[in-house]
Amino acid sequence: MRFGEIELQHLGFIHHLAISQRRLRSFLSNFTMADVEVVDPKKCLEESCKPKCVKPLLEYQACVKRVQGDESGHKHCTGQYFDYWQCVDKCVGPKLFAELK
Amino acid sequence: MVGGGVIQQILRRKLHSPSLATPVRSWLSSKTAHVDAGSSGVRAFALLGAGVTGLLSFSTVASADEAEHGLACPDYPWPHDGILSSYDHASIRRGHQVYQQVCASCHSMSLISYRDLVGVAYTEEEAKAMAAEIEVVDGPNDEGEMFTRPGKLSDRLPQPYANESAARFANGGAYPPDLSLITKARHNGQNYVFALLTGYRDPPAGISIREGLHYNPYFPGGAIAMPKMLNDEAVEYEDGVPATEAQMGKDVVSFLSWAAEPEMEERKLMGFKWIFLLSLALLQAAYYRRLKWSVLKSRKLVLDVVN
Repeated sequence: MRFGEIELQHLGFIHHLAISQRRLRSFLSNFTMADVEVVDPKKCLEESCKPKCVKPLLEYQACVKRVQGDESGHKHCTGQYFDYWQCVDKCVGPKLFAELK
Repeated sequence: MVGGGVIQQILRRKLHSPSLATPVRSWLSSKTAHVDAGSSGVRAFALLGAGVTGLLSFSTVASADEAEHGLACPDYPWPHDGILSSYDHASIRRGHQVYQQVCASCHSMSLISYRDLVGVAYTEEEAKAMAAEIEVVDGPNDEGEMFTRPGKLSDRLPQPYANESAARFANGGAYPPDLSLITKARHNGQNYVFALLTGYRDPPAGISIREGLHYNPYFPGGAIAMPKMLNDEAVEYEDGVPATEAQMGKDVVSFLSWAAEPEMEERKLMGFKWIFLLSLALLQAAYYRRLKWSVLKSRKLVLDVVN
C-alpha cells in the first residue's frame, strides 16, 4: 500500500506525540513528593470565582474606604464582607469536591 | 440610617398638611381630658417620632444579627449524600488519621471505641495495634489498686483532658467540644464543620478580634478560640493523597459524619427496602378496599313515587 502525503503527515504527528509523551513522563518522574508544590484547590477556586463576584467585592471595597476614616470604632463592613463571601461560596461549593479525592 | 431619615421627613410633611392634622387632633381630644389646641399636633408628632426611632433602632439590631448567626455555609456535594450512597471509607480512614494527628490533642471523642473502627476504616489487626499504643487506667486489681495497661479494642478513644475544667484551663477558658456527635449537634453540621475548618480568613474592615481569639465568619459571633488547624501538608497520608487543607477538611468531616451516624448505610438500605415494600402493600390495600366497597358503591336506589 502506498502512503500518501497526508498519511505520512499523520504518522509523523503521532510519532511526534509519542516522543513528547515520553519526554513529559520522564520530566514528571524527576519530581519527588517533596518537590511538588501542593496547591489548595479551595483557594484556587476562590480566586477563579472572584470575577463572578465583582459587584459585592466592589461594594466591600467601597465600604472599607468609608470605614477607614472612622474614629468611633463602631463602623464595620461585616454586611458587605458576608455578601461577597456568600457569592464566592455559592460559586465554589458545587465545584470543589470534584478537585478532591 | 438614610432610609429612616427620609421616612421622618415624609411623616413631618404629612403631619403639617391640613388633611392629616384635624383627624389627629380630634382623636387626641377624644382621648385626653385637657387638650391644648397647639400641643396636640406636637404630641402626635412626638408619638410618630417615637415610632420611627423604634424602627431605626430595630434596623441597627438586625444588622448586628448577621455576625451573630455567622455566615451561612454553602452546601457541598458530599459523596454519601444520595438515598443509596454509602460513606467513602477511604476518606473515613484518612479523616481518622487527621483527627488523631491534628485534633485529638484538644478534642475528645469519648463515644467512639476502637472496635467501632474495625471494618469501617481499619482491619482488626490495625485497630488492635492502634489501641495498644495508648495507656488505659483499669482496676482495681486483687490488691485493690488501680493500674495502667495497654489499650484494647473495647476501650474508648483517649481523652486529651481529665475533665471540662482542665480543658478550659488549657484553652483560655474555652471548651473544645467532644466531636462524637458534632455533625448532628450543629445546624447543617457537615457543611458547617467543613466551612468552619477551611474558612479562616482576615476579618472585615472595622472588626478587631481580641488577643487569644481568631476570626472565622462561619462561627456565630465571628470570634472563635480555636486557631486555624488545617494547613497544607500538616499530615502525610498513608495512601499518598496530597494533603491539602480542603482535602483534610473533607476527610475529617467524612470521619466525623461516620462517627455521629455510623448506622447511616444500614438505615438507607433498610429505608429503601421498606418504603418499596410498603408502597406495594399500599397498592394491594387500596385494591382490596375498593373491591370490598364496590358492593356498596355500585348500589342503585329506586325512588318509588306512586303513593
